[in-house]
Amino acid sequence: MRLHPLTSLAFAGSTAVITTAAASWPVSLAVGAGALGLSAAGGTARRLVPAAAAVLVPLGLSLLIVHGLSFPEGRTVLAQFGPARVTAEGLAFAGERAAQLSAAVLALLVFSFSVNVPDLVAALASRGVHGRFGFVLASTLTLLPAITAQAGRIRQAQESRGLVIRRGLLHKVAAFRLQAIPLVLSLVEDAGTRAAALEARGFSSPGPRTSYREVPDSAIQRLLRMLLLAAAAAAVVWRLWLAGTGG
Amino acid sequence: MPYSAEPVMAAGIREFTFHDGGGPVLQGLDVAVAPGSLMAVLGTSGSGKTTLGRLLAGWLPPGPGGNLIGFLELTGTRLQFNGDAGDPRIDPAQWGRQVGFVPQDAGAVLSTVRATVAEELAFGLENSAVGRTAMVAAVEQTAGLLGLRNLLGRHPARLSGGQLRRLAIGCAIITRPPVLIMDEPFASLDAAGARELGDLVRGLVKAGTAVVILSQMVDGVLREADNWIVLADGTVKASGTPAALEAGSPAVLAGIRRIKDGPSPGGVAPVPRSAGHSAPALELRGVSFGYRKDGRPARQGFTWQRRQGSRTTDNQSTVLQGIDLAVHPGEIVAVTGPNGAGKSTLLRHFNGLLRPTTGTVLVQGEDISGKPVGSTAAAVGLLFQHPREQLFERTALREVRFGLDRLFGQDEAGERASAALAAVGLSAAAHEQPAELPASRQRLLALATVLARKPAVLALDEPTVALDGDGLAVLDAAVRSAAAEGAAVVLVTHDLGYARSAAHRTIALDAGRLAEA
Amino acid sequence: MSSPSLTLPSPAPAAARRRRLLEILGALAIAGTYIYLVLNQPADITGGPGSASALIALSGFLVGAILLIVAVLPTLPASTLVLIPVALVLNIVLGQFVGSTLVPFYLDAIGTVLIAVLAGPAAGAATGALSSIVWSFFNPTVLPFAAGAALIGCLAGLAARYGLFRRFYLAPVAGFATGIIGGVVSAPVAAFVFGGTSGVATGAIVSAFRSMGDTLLAAITKQALISDPMDKAIVFTVVAVLVYALPRRTRLQFPFVRRHRVLAGTTNEPAAAQGSTQTS
Repeated sequence: MRLHPLTSLAFAGSTAVITTAAASWPVSLAVGAGALGLSAAGGTARRLVPAAAAVLVPLGLSLLIVHGLSFPEGRTVLAQFGPARVTAEGLAFAGERAAQLSAAVLALLVFSFSVNVPDLVAALASRGVHGRFGFVLASTLTLLPAITAQAGRIRQAQESRGLVIRRGLLHKVAAFRLQAIPLVLSLVEDAGTRAAALEARGFSSPGPRTSYREVPDSAIQRLLRMLLLAAAAAAVVWRLWLAGTGG
Repeated sequence: MPYSAEPVMAAGIREFTFHDGGGPVLQGLDVAVAPGSLMAVLGTSGSGKTTLGRLLAGWLPPGPGGNLIGFLELTGTRLQFNGDAGDPRIDPAQWGRQVGFVPQDAGAVLSTVRATVAEELAFGLENSAVGRTAMVAAVEQTAGLLGLRNLLGRHPARLSGGQLRRLAIGCAIITRPPVLIMDEPFASLDAAGARELGDLVRGLVKAGTAVVILSQMVDGVLREADNWIVLADGTVKASGTPAALEAGSPAVLAGIRRIKDGPSPGGVAPVPRSAGHSAPALELRGVSFGYRKDGRPARQGFTWQRRQGSRTTDNQSTVLQGIDLAVHPGEIVAVTGPNGAGKSTLLRHFNGLLRPTTGTVLVQGEDISGKPVGSTAAAVGLLFQHPREQLFERTALREVRFGLDRLFGQDEAGERASAALAAVGLSAAAHEQPAELPASRQRLLALATVLARKPAVLALDEPTVALDGDGLAVLDAAVRSAAAEGAAVVLVTHDLGYARSAAHRTIALDAGRLAEA
Repeated sequence: MSSPSLTLPSPAPAAARRRRLLEILGALAIAGTYIYLVLNQPADITGGPGSASALIALSGFLVGAILLIVAVLPTLPASTLVLIPVALVLNIVLGQFVGSTLVPFYLDAIGTVLIAVLAGPAAGAATGALSSIVWSFFNPTVLPFAAGAALIGCLAGLAARYGLFRRFYLAPVAGFATGIIGGVVSAPVAAFVFGGTSGVATGAIVSAFRSMGDTLLAAITKQALISDPMDKAIVFTVVAVLVYALPRRTRLQFPFVRRHRVLAGTTNEPAAAQGSTQTS
């Protein structure tokens, strides 16, 4: 059975929220491992792992530097060089926070790398805020490779006019100006044409819409989405109540 | 008589200005389009054709788009505009159901949010809540009309230029508007594409659609039009039947290209001065090239990649096979071939933008394989299809002068820049902003930037596209004088007539191989 | 087939009022969350990974950003809406290009500020928030910064509206000030959601402040005050270069630019107010 894109989004989102609310490293590790397993089963691990690493490795290192080296509140000093004090509490804090963030990031990335974007856009109703958000999301994903390719073409055109990017900040800034100006100019002009075309095709019309693409959904999935959202909300309330009572 | 029926669309434009504080772009202009007729609006680049087309199509709504004094009339409703706050506001969606518009840059009409050609076609129907069964039937029917039926499942970003234009037309006509306006639909189409489009236009007119074509050249189906309107400087210079206008004063159609006449003012191809005696300025030896099969998903392309022409990567891996070509100083060689034959790919090998998989490229006897593109550019001037990608300066003069100072010193750079601007007839526009010039003049300006360097090899990609008659004459003269001064010129074009009249030698590129034509 | 009207009715004022209310609620959610976190911060950090603060920061800022989007997005004309995806891509593509040359900065707001200058503070705020939300598709850690990004877009639009882009040298000054405010507001997200920063270099700076005895929030705020103002000053300058390179007709097609005389040398045109919906 294919999951409705909003159902997978609800899964990923509530998992991230509940993991954050739980704030327990066994839960975090289990969720992270589960997310990696799901991604491997779905065949997206080869793309997901580098993307996740690009986010999580610098974040983890930063946490280690910030809390590992200086945690004024820490008591158990493991090592000390000058002003830097490595404390057990600092390392534990960094580790727990890293595990928690990794779990949330992985859960959400499993969704992004497995979802069928056209289905997601079709699932967001095509009108009002939803429709416009869907437009921004889908259009960005379409334009990203197109604009990247266009930037490449512009650089080729400039190189053909004798532009050699030399070393040094000033040369690079000058080269940036030469390439950014035609890019932005043509993008703004194209956007004007696209806006007119969209308007002429009824993009801003009020009134109901239909969808050419069919995205299968079911009553069970709708119920499941409600339950997942309720669970996430309950987890947040529970955690805040604990904090409120001094827990 | 085309005016026997009540017009389906009409306009009386006293004056139209943009919000840029400039003078009127259109003035004193009356148009009436009869149902089931074909009208051609002819004019040189910058004559106001596109503005008129957009205004009629509701793409440039009076008010937000500019100030209109006059009226627009569509299917019996007349809207009067006085250029003040009390003016009616056009509903572009309702207007668009009555008038379809296809802009010159067909790719810009894509919604960018639909993943297949079928969904892209259906976009306009979805927005007016057409039921799914009716929608599928309409998509099927429109696709059949435009020959897109076997492309319905493809991503719109992976269509070729010709297919993209057909899709844009499909998006405009799927709601069956009584009027269809197309801006320069024949530009950059090869002979086969132009024929197909001509047949489509005939079919639409026969079925009762009023078709208006804005064009700077007279081609095939436009000779069968019921009516021609010739625009100049934003106003009607002449109007009437094609026969009457062609028989009348030649001054009326000055500057408008007529394909069957042969575009070259000289008519006969020039004789090369010294071809064969000197060493070739450009030589390709056994060059083969294939695009890397790029299986990566589109959404991972975050970097400035060298990859280009992503539209062709999917179905063709080998584009060029064993190309041998030698071009001598003073020689003009035309490379022709249908759209998608690999002409632009070939051109990009001349200065190293693309490197051959096997074989070598020599410029003035030197292998360029290790040299950066920017330094090969001193000897090879390359002019691309889209001039606006090459232009970035504030004025035309600065644009031409860019980079010359370093090569030739202050004084000579100034002289060369002025001379190059004069050679393309843009001396008067020296202080204008390049991006604000009409398309034809942008092309000529880009040509001037190349000419100013006096390169040993001059390579032009589809130079005739978007050029009006005057522009073409200037191009022709500039190319000839460059060759006369000893440059080796390569013209890459789908326009066989132009190739034959302008070049000493014409070579056909087909399926990745060259053959003397 | 009956022929529907070819013209638009005048816009209804009731809808505009409801949207103004949403905008205010969004701004209040962001401001309230910030104040709560600043006042309550010491209680949480030492008691283990403070997930209550993380959740408050996350939900308060996110709800505020979403309310702003809900308020603004439906009111934008299509000509502004189609620019938003372009801006998001420019945030990435131009940011990456500049980022690779001028190492210490992120410069991830060029597109957002560009939209703000051309289409006004509301469009800028929506673009900033959407940029974080759409970008979180690939990097979920940017999601909590949506409110900060919206603030940058809004402030850039206000700077443009009050003429700070009319003189070239004022643009970096406005950017500098925007960076200070943006940095201060985003610091609690870094502190409470991440417990640190997303980069190694910034992490080292925070660590240095921490070892001098600062609280985490204070250390991160100080770090932000070192990098953000310069970063935004550069972004605003780049955008000023870009908008002045746009042809006159192109930049004057934007009602916001015409009405508030955003750029030097562009005439103020009172008639331009007609036809365009509320952009500010």
